[in-house]
Amino acid sequence: MTEKQNSNTPDKRSIGGDMVIPVVALGFTLYYFSTIIDSPWTAQVSAFFIGTILIVLAAVFIFKSVAKVRLGEAGFGFSKLFSKADITSGRLSLFIVTVLYILLIEWGGFTLTTFGFLFSGMLVLSKGRDKGFIALLSAGLSLVGYGLFIIVFETRLPHGPFEWLMALVL
Amino acid sequence: MEFQFQLFGPLLIHTLSYWWVIIPSIFLGLIVGAIPGFSAANTIIILLPFTLVMDIEVGLIFMVALYCSSRMGAGIPAILVNIPGTAGAAATPLDGYPMTQAGRGQQALAMSFVASSFGGLMTTIIALLAMPLLAQVGYYMHSVEMIVVMLFGISLIASIAARDTHKGLIAGFLGLMIGSIGTDVVYATPRGTLGFLELYDGVPLIPALVGLFAVSEAFLVIEQKSILSKKGLDAAPSVGWSATLEGCTIALSRWWHITWNSIIGLIIGVIPGAGASIASFVAYQQSRTYSKTPELYGTGHPEGLIAPEAANNGVTSGTLIPLLILGIPGGATAAVMLVVMQYQGVTLGPTLFQLNPELGYGVFMAMAVTYFFMILTILPLARFMTRVTMVSTVYLAPCIIAFTLIGSFVPRVYMFDMWLGLAFGIIGYIARKTGYHVAAILIGVILGPLLETYFLRALKMSDGDIMVLFSSNLGNVLWLALFATFLVPAGIQFKKNRRLDESREAPNG
Repeated sequence: MTEKQNSNTPDKRSIGGDMVIPVVALGFTLYYFSTIIDSPWTAQVSAFFIGTILIVLAAVFIFKSVAKVRLGEAGFGFSKLFSKADITSGRLSLFIVTVLYILLIEWGGFTLTTFGFLFSGMLVLSKGRDKGFIALLSAGLSLVGYGLFIIVFETRLPHGPFEWLMALVL
Repeated sequence: MEFQFQLFGPLLIHTLSYWWVIIPSIFLGLIVGAIPGFSAANTIIILLPFTLVMDIEVGLIFMVALYCSSRMGAGIPAILVNIPGTAGAAATPLDGYPMTQAGRGQQALAMSFVASSFGGLMTTIIALLAMPLLAQVGYYMHSVEMIVVMLFGISLIASIAARDTHKGLIAGFLGLMIGSIGTDVVYATPRGTLGFLELYDGVPLIPALVGLFAVSEAFLVIEQKSILSKKGLDAAPSVGWSATLEGCTIALSRWWHITWNSIIGLIIGVIPGAGASIASFVAYQQSRTYSKTPELYGTGHPEGLIAPEAANNGVTSGTLIPLLILGIPGGATAAVMLVVMQYQGVTLGPTLFQLNPELGYGVFMAMAVTYFFMILTILPLARFMTRVTMVSTVYLAPCIIAFTLIGSFVPRVYMFDMWLGLAFGIIGYIARKTGYHVAAILIGVILGPLLETYFLRALKMSDGDIMVLFSSNLGNVLWLALFATFLVPAGIQFKKNRRLDESREAPNG
């Protein structure tokens, strides 16, 4: 079996990943309850009804999972969620680039930031190959986006140096 | 209201002469429908300065064509890349995307186009003939009845949960809990907002849709070269025009399925406040319940694709009925149309059909003609649209992330919504990786707040008496129908098991 196949096949005994959603659900519901504890009944009724069911469901799931681990049938590993493939496939890098995209778009404007994101995102995934093609494609796509969203639909997307320059030119 | 059938023939010919407005509007509608965040209502608002100066007839035809085609457009990315363009197409990828992954994307698109066009056309004709009757539906649907309608949609969570009950229910109830974020409808008390003012109005749907479906999908598909499975990749080069024809045949052979699901959409569309998302979930659930092969749903079953597509196009005609007959818009797009019509001095209501019948009937005629042109113009494009599935994920994934996150920014113009889209993307990614169904979460997010609103309204009106839920005849009939949706599949399964047992015993006996 190749390394890629190995990394894509999570250990079936690792159930730590399966518990993330129930733990988040449990935590969020308890937080939600804390925000409505002094509220009028209209704010509480459906949340308490739904929340109680969710707490029971999540608690039972967590309890069953812990029992499986104690019986030695499973472990608290997170191999279903995190693996070496996250780094080798470029997923982690793409995530970082996405965070930067959202952070910078307000200042860089839609067109330039989208170009930067598409270029770096594609470059990360292609492992540095086809730089010229990727640069052309990213530029083309962000310009099409500029034309469609900002010029045609007049959408209020974040404006930056490129949009200001084009506003002067057009 | 008296029908003026003699008008229909000349009106049809007259509307056909506006092909030059209808065809470009169809393409514009397909584009705005396919991009999350760009709805028909937004586009009509953006183009309002043009619409207001147009001749009323041209303006109405433009709006109607845009509205109808945007519904169909929303289904295209849902089928091809698992990204519903609007919440109304959220049930479409359940079976549409598995078909694409298996290399049957072209077939799936053709099925969706036929179901949408014929569903829309049929409901337009029904709406035209039964307008006065349908306009009354809104009067009979009170909070209690609406609660049951919502529960029809929410019960889809149970169907999704059938594959892994515990995880399905956790996902569904987590969605309902997330849907409860925001101020309560009576006293505006903020609940579960994590201190964000932007969440006081509740969780916006587009970032939830974009994150759960698109962003999570983009981060998942990068493990593969293409979104197609190996089988799909092998089959893709040999797929020709015949796949489109095959898709049409499959859809047309299920004409009855298209009919009743589009009627579900029509009836739900007539109810002000209800919309395409409810209709598509209810239709999918009903289709699955009464199917002979419910176990195939979610694996790329044609009926699972046809049902929501026929229903959400049925909604389109439905929303226009209260607008034209009562002057009450049934949805956001209908509300914008109301503004345009009032600006042009058109009085809506029953008198519209007496004083200005060409305009009243003309709206539905424009709809019928749009569906006719839509099937002719879009069907040949199915083959070319599916090419997107052949694009390497190296290029596809960043494009999906960039343009859908931008889509989540557009409706409210809050940077916060882009972060929210990413947050939902992380939830969706974890959910998919660990076997929780993102559609179950989304159903909760969409229908949860609506259910709570109707529930509180019913309780307020009855001074907190819970028995109000069983106080209306129509409501009780709907409750029975709801129970039937749980009992019928169990009955069918029981029958199947018995037959299986009998066939096993037969050779021995």
